[in-house]
Amino acid sequence: MGDNEQLGNLQNAKTTWEKDCLEPWLKRVPERRREFQTDIGLPLKRVYTPIDLPEVDFDYQKSLGFPGQYPFTRGINPTMYRSEPWIVRAYSGFGDPKLCNERYKRLMDLGVDEITMAVDLPTQVGYDSDHIMAKGEVGKVGVAIDTLRDMEILFEDIPLSSLKRVAMLGNSFGPIALALFIALGEKQGLRPSEFVVDLQNDVLKEYIARGTYIFPIRPAVRVATDVVGYCARNAPHWYPMTFCANHINTAGAGSSKAVAFALANGLCYIEHLMEKGYKIDEIAPLFTVFCDDRADFFVAICNSRATRRVWARIMRERFKAQDPASLGIKICAYSHGGETLLEPTNNIARITLAALAYILGGVQFLSNASYDEVLGTPTVDAAKTSVRIQQILAHELGIADIVDPLGGSYFIENLTTQIENQILRELQKVEEHGGAVAAIENGYYVSQLTDGAMRRKREFDTGERPSVGVTKFRSESKIPTGAFRIEPTVEARQVERLNKVRKERNTNAVKDALEYLREVAKSGQNLVPPALEAVRAYSTIGEMCDVLRDEFGEYQGKEYFSKKGSEK
Amino acid sequence: MTRKIRVLIAKVGLDGHDVGARVVARSLSDAGMEVIYTGLRQRPEQIVLAAIQESVDLIGISILSGSHMTLIEEIICCLQKHEAGDIPVIAGGIIPYEDIKMLKEIGVVEVFLPETPIQEIIEYVQNIIE
Repeated sequence: MGDNEQLGNLQNAKTTWEKDCLEPWLKRVPERRREFQTDIGLPLKRVYTPIDLPEVDFDYQKSLGFPGQYPFTRGINPTMYRSEPWIVRAYSGFGDPKLCNERYKRLMDLGVDEITMAVDLPTQVGYDSDHIMAKGEVGKVGVAIDTLRDMEILFEDIPLSSLKRVAMLGNSFGPIALALFIALGEKQGLRPSEFVVDLQNDVLKEYIARGTYIFPIRPAVRVATDVVGYCARNAPHWYPMTFCANHINTAGAGSSKAVAFALANGLCYIEHLMEKGYKIDEIAPLFTVFCDDRADFFVAICNSRATRRVWARIMRERFKAQDPASLGIKICAYSHGGETLLEPTNNIARITLAALAYILGGVQFLSNASYDEVLGTPTVDAAKTSVRIQQILAHELGIADIVDPLGGSYFIENLTTQIENQILRELQKVEEHGGAVAAIENGYYVSQLTDGAMRRKREFDTGERPSVGVTKFRSESKIPTGAFRIEPTVEARQVERLNKVRKERNTNAVKDALEYLREVAKSGQNLVPPALEAVRAYSTIGEMCDVLRDEFGEYQGKEYFSKKGSEK
Repeated sequence: MTRKIRVLIAKVGLDGHDVGARVVARSLSDAGMEVIYTGLRQRPEQIVLAAIQESVDLIGISILSGSHMTLIEEIICCLQKHEAGDIPVIAGGIIPYEDIKMLKEIGVVEVFLPETPIQEIIEYVQNIIE
C-alpha cells in the first residue's frame, strides 16, 4: 500500500471519527474556545496525526536528520545530555564586588557551572561609579565594576578555571569586557586556554529592547565585532557573542519574530566581519543565540528546534559554510515569562516548566529566573531554588536520558516547521527594510514590539491569557513585601575603592594606554589589544569609554512615540 | 470643545526597559490623550523642562532599576524649583511595595505596580485631571 493510499485511508478514518465521535461529543461538551492559537498567532489543531506532516513537507532526513548532523533539528551533537547535561548558569550580581563575591561563593557551593555577571547600569553604559549619571544606580541591577581591581575582588577565591564558563552581560563595551577577563585570568595565573569566557556583546538589540547602548550604531557594530574577530584568532574556544531574541521577545515581539530580528542582527555582525576579511568558518562557530518563548510551552520547545534548522540552512545556503561548528548553533535560554508579583511562589512552577521546555528543545546553556525577580534582585534562597530546579531536571526523572524525546511527534514536527516558516517570513521583512540597522533606524523594529506588547497587555487584562492567582483564581491581593535591598553604603564604598585605585595606579601607564586606545579607535584596527593594555594599567571603564565616545560619538536615543497613533 | 489631557511619559536614569512605558503611552493616546514619550535616559531636569515646555497635565515616570527613590525625589524637587509643583507625578515599574508610601510622602500621587490593568491607569489619569 503506497503512502498516499495510507494517508487517504487515514483521512477517511478521521472523517468517520469526526462524524461518529467528535461531533456528538462537542454538542454535549463544547470546547473552551472557538479557536485555539499560540501567542505568536499560529493556529492549534485539536489533535495531530500523520495527515499533518505532508502540509509541512515533513521528510525525516531533510527535516530532522540525526542529532549532531545537518540540519541539527534534533540536537547539536549526537549524545546531548546523555553525555553531559546543559550548562547550569546563574545570572547574578549586585552591590559592590566584595558583597557580590559572597553571593558568587554561595552559587559555587550550590554547584553552578557558569556564573553570568550582572553588572550595574553605570558599568553597562560606560560610566564610573562617581559619574553624575551613576547617582543612585551604583550596584542596583548588577555589581559595580570600575576597574580590573573590582574583578579581582569579585572573583577572589574563585579561579576562572573552576567554572565551565564565566560570563558578563556587557553589550556595548565588548573589548573592555573581554580584556577584563583576560587580565583577571593573568592575575589568577591563568592563560586564556585554561578558562572559557562568554560575552553577550549583542549591541544591536540594545537600541530597541534593552537600552544599554553607548555609541552610535555603526561604530557600535565595529566595537562588538572586534571581539569576535579577536577571539577567532586568539581564543576560538570562547563565546564572544550571543545574539539575542529573548529581550526582543520580552519587549513584545513574540518568539518567532524575535528570532527573526535577532538573526537579522546576527547576520549584520557576520557580514561586517566578512567585509573585514574573516571567512565564515572562522567566525560562525563563535556565535550563540539566545532564544525563548515566554507564553506557550510547546512553542518554546519547537522554537529551539526551528532556530537550529533555520541557522543551519542559512549558513549552508547563503554563506556556504562547511564546518559543522558553523552550521550547528548553540542555544542559550532563560526560564522566565508570565511571572507574577502576586503569590510569587507560584513562579517556581512557571520557571520549572519554562526550563523543561528549553531542555526538551535541546539548549546548551540555561539560566532560570528567580521566583522573586518581579520584586527586585533575587534573594539567595530564590537563587538557590533556581539552581536546584535545573539540577532536579538534569538528574532526576530521566529527562536527560533521551536525545530529542519529542522528535517525531506529529504535533511537534508540524509546529516546528510552522515556526521555522514564520521566522523566515519575518526575517525576509526585515531584509526588505534593508536589514537590522535600517530596521532600527526607521522604527520598524520598535513599532512591531509595541504592537505585540499592546496585544499581550490586552490579553492579560481581559483574562484571554489567564494568569493564575491574578486574573484567574484570585484569592488575595496582598502585594508581597521584603524585596531584596542593596545596602545604601554600597555607592560610597565603591567610590572610595575607585578613588584608591586611581591614586595607586601608574598614571603614565594609564595615559599611554588610553592614547593607544584612541589611536586604534581612529585607525580601525582591533580594539581588544589596546583595551587589554588599558585594563591592565587599571584604567577605569569610564575613562576607556570616554576615549571611545570622543572618537565615535554617543547614540542619540529617539523618541519613538510622540503623537496619537504615530510612531517615529 | 474640551482640551485634550496632555501627559508626559518619561524614563529616568539609565534603565533601558521601556516596554511598559510605551504600552502606557500608547494606551493613554488611544484613550484620547495627547502623549509625549521622552525615550530613554532622561535626567530629572530634562523631564521637568520637557513637562513645562509641553504644558502637560501629568507626568508618568517609568523605572525598573531600583533607583526610584533618588531619581524621583530629584524630579519632584526640580518641579518645585521651577514652580511646577502642581503637575501631578505618577510612577510605575519595579518598585517595592514598601516604597510606595515613601514615594507618596515626597509627593508622588500614585504608583502603579506590574499587573495593574491598563484601564485602571487610564481612568486614574482621567479622574485626577478633572
